[in-house]
Amino acid sequence: MDINVRKRSQVQVVQLRGHLRMGPAVDSLRQTLEEAMGNGDTRIVMNLSEVPMIDSSGIGLLVRFLALIKQRGGNIKLAQPSKFAVQTLRLVGVLNLFEIFDNDDSAVESFA
Amino acid sequence: MPNEISGGSENSELSELLDRSMPANSEAIAAVVDSISETLGKLDVPEQKRLEIALAVQEALANAVVHGCGNDPSKYVRCRVKSAPNGRIVIVVTDPGPGFKADGLSDPKKSENLYSDHGRGVYLIRQLMDEVHFERRGNEISMWKY
Repeated sequence: MDINVRKRSQVQVVQLRGHLRMGPAVDSLRQTLEEAMGNGDTRIVMNLSEVPMIDSSGIGLLVRFLALIKQRGGNIKLAQPSKFAVQTLRLVGVLNLFEIFDNDDSAVESFA
Repeated sequence: MPNEISGGSENSELSELLDRSMPANSEAIAAVVDSISETLGKLDVPEQKRLEIALAVQEALANAVVHGCGNDPSKYVRCRVKSAPNGRIVIVVTDPGPGFKADGLSDPKKSENLYSDHGRGVYLIRQLMDEVHFERRGNEISMWKY
C-alpha cells in the first residue's frame, strides 16, 4: 500500500492507495497514525478513493484510532471512500461512526 | 484430506481452480488472495462478486494464520478454490490448529463492540458469502458464493 501524507490547514490528509488489509498495509497505516498522534496531529482526513478493499484488520485499526483521537478532541474523517469500502464498513456497523465527505477539500474545511 | 466439500449441490462436478499452501505468515496472505481474484477475473466473475470473495478469503486466511497457526510460519495453511458448472464458487481454507466454535462469537455490531479492534472476521465472511460451513474440528472453513 502507498501512503501519502500532506498537511493542509492544520489537517493531516492521508491518501491511501491499495487494499487496506492485514500485513504490511495495516502495519504502515498504524505507524503513520501513531506518528501523527505523537506529533499532536489529531485532525485527520483519510482519502479512501483508491482503497478497493478494507479487511477486518483495517477496520479495527480505523475504529481504534478514531476512538483514541476523539479522546484527544480530534477526529478521523473519510473522503471519497470506494463503493466496496462503504459497503464493508456498513456491513459491520461502523460506517456511522465516521463523517464522510465527497472530497478532501470539504473534509478539511469541516475541521474549521 | 477428504475430497468432499460441504454445502452446494454439485460436489461431484466441482472443477479445481486453485490449490495453494502458504506459510502461516500474515505477509503471505495477500499473494494468495490476489491470485484467487485474478483467477476469478479470467472466468469473467463480476468485480463486485470478486471483491466479496476476496475479502472473505482474506478473513479466512487471516483467522487461519493468527488463530489456527499462532503466527508460526513453520506451519502451513491450505486454500482450495473450486467451481461448479452453474458458476458457484467454493473456497476451502484449512489450518492445522485445534479449531474453534464459531457459534460462540460475539456480535460486532453491538454498541459495546463497535470500537473494538478485532472480532469482525467471521461475521464478515458470513455476510459476504452465501453458505459457510466449519468442518472437521473447526479448523476448516468452506465458503460458497452463488
